[in-house]
Amino acid sequence: MQAASLPLEQYTGVWVVADLVDGVLSDTSQELLTPARQLADQLGQSVSMVILAAPGVDSAALQECVGAAGADQLIVIQHDLLAQYQTELYTRALSGLVLERHPNIVLFPASSMGRDYAPRVSVRTGGSLASAATDLALAEDGKTLRATKACFAEALFASVESPTARPQMVTVRGRAFEKPQAQAGKSATLDVITPTLSADIARTQLLEVVKPEVKGGKKLEEAEIVVSGGRGLKAAENFSLVEDLAGVLGAAVGASRAVVDAGWRPHSEQVGQTGKTVAPKVYVALGIHGAIQHLVGMNGSQCIIAINSNPDAPIFKVADFGIVGDVFQVVPELTKTLKEQNLALSL
Amino acid sequence: MKIVVFIKQVPDNTKLKFDESGPVRDGVPMMMNPYDEYALETALRLKEKAGGDSTVTVLTLGAPSAKEIVKKAISYGADDAFLLSDESLQDGDSSANSFALAQAVKTLVPDFHVLVFGQQSLDDAAGQTGPKLAEWLNLPSLTFCKNAELEGETLKVVRETERGIETHAMTLPGVVCMMKCDYELRGSNIKGVMRANKTEIPLKSAADIGVASDKAGVSGSTTTVTKTWQRPPKSGGVIVDGSEPAVAVQKLVDYLKETKVL
Repeated sequence: MQAASLPLEQYTGVWVVADLVDGVLSDTSQELLTPARQLADQLGQSVSMVILAAPGVDSAALQECVGAAGADQLIVIQHDLLAQYQTELYTRALSGLVLERHPNIVLFPASSMGRDYAPRVSVRTGGSLASAATDLALAEDGKTLRATKACFAEALFASVESPTARPQMVTVRGRAFEKPQAQAGKSATLDVITPTLSADIARTQLLEVVKPEVKGGKKLEEAEIVVSGGRGLKAAENFSLVEDLAGVLGAAVGASRAVVDAGWRPHSEQVGQTGKTVAPKVYVALGIHGAIQHLVGMNGSQCIIAINSNPDAPIFKVADFGIVGDVFQVVPELTKTLKEQNLALSL
Repeated sequence: MKIVVFIKQVPDNTKLKFDESGPVRDGVPMMMNPYDEYALETALRLKEKAGGDSTVTVLTLGAPSAKEIVKKAISYGADDAFLLSDESLQDGDSSANSFALAQAVKTLVPDFHVLVFGQQSLDDAAGQTGPKLAEWLNLPSLTFCKNAELEGETLKVVRETERGIETHAMTLPGVVCMMKCDYELRGSNIKGVMRANKTEIPLKSAADIGVASDKAGVSGSTTTVTKTWQRPPKSGGVIVDGSEPAVAVQKLVDYLKETKVL
């Protein structure tokens, strides 16, 4: 095992490195303050929320927000070149501070940002990294971080620890933790750092971003309810059944691989092995057979509802409630009933 | 242009079985990691577009049995391959593996332009090896890529992230990690298979690529897996007949109320 450069007890503090998107903390970034506070209390250490941003970010508002959510300190790494995410600039800016202050634990959201640069930061700082964790705790020694992660296509869970490398870094999945309750009167100190950066560090340049068309404003990975459709819907235009039900439930729309491959839906909606992994409170599968490649993307959902005409479809093996029936009859009936009875899911 | 594609042999998860101690690998068919199929396709497309004396080299770290997927890659159109197979390189985490692969590419294909990875492996699902290798070699890297095309001297890369569909220009040499791409995967043909059968696949040891024993495998790792367990199977699901939609829907609504979801 690779060893840390300093004695282990000299690494102290639990950091949450936030995703700041258009000046707003992502949901997962906020959720991470919950385990961070818990781990810090057990270790007798402090919690810092770290934000990388360009000058002009509303630090006072963020300071109040993260203080109420349990952080002791807000660290703003501030530079014109950090206005938008760029792998090498963010790696440089964050690694510099990690090497200077040697935190014990550094948590990132397992977003396309965190998963892009956390591996580089871990190599540059000599730390360890566990990916896409679903749970965090201290090991029996009361000191070492233990991250739980899914592997083998979600069939197996593993405990990952770093005995001797520091800092212990982890990217954590969205919705693995609840957001902390805001506590009035709690506040965080503010520490603004200006790193030394130059534009030539960046060897990739963002030319263009086309924003995704998000129906109902729900992102698949962050949604509390997901309604997905599969080949049982028979044609692309029949996805209106999925969209209508999703609309009533305030849910995000997902799709099976079969319908993405058929070109009915974009890959961004694909749930499963080569698509997204979701774990909402409620997952509704409409006309989805339930191949293992689909199941691995959603079987962590709290409540799974399946509607399919084939009683032998494997989706029923993971369903909490299944209806063996015609999606073209049952789904409109369900949408109508929920609308008429004005039944909102109590999430 | 010299392109290197990194592929990994993984167990076919649809046929995987488990016992108390974890996955039972004996008798489980192995396959090329699904994302690596897209990485290979991307590499082959880059080669075809660049033309001239462009080549695709395959690098893999694994057991000698990984030759199977290397042969497959060659049958699809890759030019040559190296298999890093050495007991001291086994059982490493992504820190040790990315270091070994970085040393391998530096030693075996020093004049590379583009390094292509799959976004993550099926068994480990970490997605760390590509960006970590980029860090070891001080190269630019982009993850969650859906397309990569040469445009003049730079690589035009399309990514799919929470921000949307992003287009980047990357200065080469550099690393891209591919997720599922929009293009069709090619199959092999008779000619390709025959060529693959004839192609010698050199085995390389840790010493061949300059990886000292304290940087290899478990010694070179920063993490360790202390325990594994299986997801408990779901039981007690309620399945109802939907031939009368209104009745079935009412049962569902009742269920949701009962379980306090509604």
